[in-house]
Amino acid sequence: MTRLAGVLPALLGLLAAWGAIALGLGSVTDPGPGLWPFVTAVLLLGTGIAIAVRPPDDTEPFCRGTAGVLLAVAGLGGYAAVIEHVGFEIPTVVLLAVWLRFLGAESWVVTVVVALLATTAAHLLFIAGLGVPLPHLFGA
Amino acid sequence: MWSGFAVVFEPQNLLYCLLGVTLGMLVGVLPGLGPAATIAILLPITYDLEPAPAIILLAGIFYGAQYGGTITSVLLRLPGEASTVVTVLDGHELARQGRAGSALGIAAVGSFIGGTASIVVLSLVAPFVADFALKFGPPEYAVLGVIGIFLVATLGNGSLVKGIAAAAAGLLLATVGSDPMVGAPRFVFGSDQLADGIDFVIVAMGVFGVGEILYNLEHRHRESARVPSFGRAWPTWVEWLQSKWAVLRGAVVGFLLGVLPGGGATMSSLVAYAVEKRSAADPSRFGRGAIEGVAGPETANNAAATSSFIPLLVLGLPANATMAVLFGALTLQGVPPGPSLIDDHPDVFWGVIDSMYIGNVFLLLFSVPLIGIFVRLLRVRPGILAPLTMLVTMIGVYSIRNNVFDLFLVLGLGVIGYGMKKLGFEPGPFVLAFVLGDILESAFRRSMRMFGGDLTGFLHRPIAASLLVFLVGSVVVVSVFRRYRNGKHSRPLLSRR
Repeated sequence: MTRLAGVLPALLGLLAAWGAIALGLGSVTDPGPGLWPFVTAVLLLGTGIAIAVRPPDDTEPFCRGTAGVLLAVAGLGGYAAVIEHVGFEIPTVVLLAVWLRFLGAESWVVTVVVALLATTAAHLLFIAGLGVPLPHLFGA
Repeated sequence: MWSGFAVVFEPQNLLYCLLGVTLGMLVGVLPGLGPAATIAILLPITYDLEPAPAIILLAGIFYGAQYGGTITSVLLRLPGEASTVVTVLDGHELARQGRAGSALGIAAVGSFIGGTASIVVLSLVAPFVADFALKFGPPEYAVLGVIGIFLVATLGNGSLVKGIAAAAAGLLLATVGSDPMVGAPRFVFGSDQLADGIDFVIVAMGVFGVGEILYNLEHRHRESARVPSFGRAWPTWVEWLQSKWAVLRGAVVGFLLGVLPGGGATMSSLVAYAVEKRSAADPSRFGRGAIEGVAGPETANNAAATSSFIPLLVLGLPANATMAVLFGALTLQGVPPGPSLIDDHPDVFWGVIDSMYIGNVFLLLFSVPLIGIFVRLLRVRPGILAPLTMLVTMIGVYSIRNNVFDLFLVLGLGVIGYGMKKLGFEPGPFVLAFVLGDILESAFRRSMRMFGGDLTGFLHRPIAASLLVFLVGSVVVVSVFRRYRNGKHSRPLLSRR
C-alpha cells in the first residue's frame, strides 16, 4: 500500500513521458508540443520512484468502508449513464434511496421521504426555477 | 477605494455578501466539506452573476468559514476547518471550565480585528504591488509560478516528495487539450470532449467536492456530541486585557504568512499558537484553557485568509487551494486576476476588497447570536447531507456544458481525489498546479524564446534573478523548517482533517 503510492505516479509519469516524446520534443530554442509535458512527466516519474524507494508512512489501508465508496462510484456512474435516456427524476430517486439506505444506514421511512422530497425540490429549483436544461420526464 | 464601497452598498451585493459569509460560517461549522470544496460546488451558480457579486459571494464563503470552524472547535472539540484545529487545545478546555462564551467571544472579536487590519494593509499595499508587478514579463512569471507551486506543495502537512508529485501530476493534467502556442492536440485520445482541455471547474468540483464526499463516506465515526452550555458569548474586560497582545501578534503573523504561497490560514494559526506559547510568562497554562491560545490563532487565521487575496488579485498567482478556485472563478467571469485588474476592473477589485470590511462586520454581529442555530445543524446526519451535496454537485456539473461526458469526468476526478487522500497525497497542490499549468508553460516557453534557449537568461533580469534567489532560499528554509517540525512534534492533531 505504501509503495503503491510511489509506483502509481511513477507508472503514470513513464506513460506520459512516452506520450510526450511521441508528440515531439522540439528543441530548447523551439520547443515542440511535447517538451513541457515531458518535463512534468519526468518530475512525476522521479518523485514516484523516490516515494517507492523510501515510502513515507502516511497511507490509509482500504477497509470495509471502501466497499461503500465503490458502491457510491458505481451508483454515480450508472446515474450519469442513464439520465439522458430516461430523464433525471427516476435515477435521482433511486440514487438517493440507495445512498441513504445502504451508505447512510437511514431507516426506510427517512430514505423514502428524503429521496422523494429532494428530487421534487431539485426539479422545482433547477428545472422550473433556474431553467437548467436537465433531461427530465415531467414538466415543460 | 471609495468607489468599491459604492459597489458593496448596492442592495444586491450586500445580499450576496451576507449570503456568502453565512454559507461560509455554515460550512465552517460542518466538518467534512471545506471552503475550497464548497466554493467549487457553487461555481456553476455564479455563472449568471456579474463578476463583482459572484466574487463577493465566493470570497465571503472563504473568510466566513474561518469564523464557523471555531464554533465546533470550542464547543465540541471537532474542528470544522483545518485552520481551527489548534483552537481546540485551549478553546475546548475553556468550554469545559464553563468559559465557552469567553472563548467564542474573543475568537469573534480577534477574527474581526485580524480580518479588518489585514484588509486595511491590503488596501494600502495592493496598488503599489500591482504597479511593480506590471514590470513583470514571462521570465518573472515563470519563476513566480514555480515558487508558488513549490511552496504550496511543500508547506502542507503531508510528505514533501508527495507534495511535489501531486503538483507534477496537476501540471501534467493541465497539458491535456491543445498546445497553448501552436495548438497541436495533446493527450486527448481522439476525444472531441477533451480537445479544449479539461475545464478547471470540473477539476475543482471533482477533486475537492466529489473526492471529499467519497473520502468522508469511509470515515463516519461521529455520534451526536453533547454541547456544553455557555452564557453570553463575550469576553470579560480582564480576558480582553489578557489577550490584547495575542490579538495584535496574531494579526501580524497571520498577515505575513497569508501573503506567502502555501502559508494561509492553517499554517498561520499554528505559528500564532507557537508564538503565544513562547512569549507567555507561564507556558504551562497552554492546553489548560489559556485565552491567548484562542485569541492568537483565531486572529491569525482570519488575517491570513484576507491577506492571501494579495498574491491572487495583484499578481494573478493563487497562494493556496481556495485561492486557486477563486482564480478559476475570476477567469470564468472574464476578469483575469493580475497586476492590471486594479486598473481594468476597479469595480471588481475594490468591490471585493471593500466587501470584506462589510462581511467582517456581518460576521462579528451574527456569528455570536447564530451559534445556537449552527450547533443544532450539526445534528443533520452526514448520511443525509452527503447524497444531497452529491446531487447538487452532479446537477451543477451537468449545467456547465449540458454534457454527460462531464459527469463521468468529474466522477473520475473524484475517484482520483479520494485515492490521493487515501495514499497520503494532498489534493491542494494538484489543483493549484493544474490552475497554474498553462500560465507556467506559456511563460516558460516565451522566456526560452526570449533568451534563445539559454537558461542562464533568467539571471540577467534583475527581478527574475532576485526571485530565483528567493526560490533557492525558500528551498533551504522549507527543508530546515520541516526537519525542525517533524523532529519537535510528530504532527499530533494535524495529520488529517
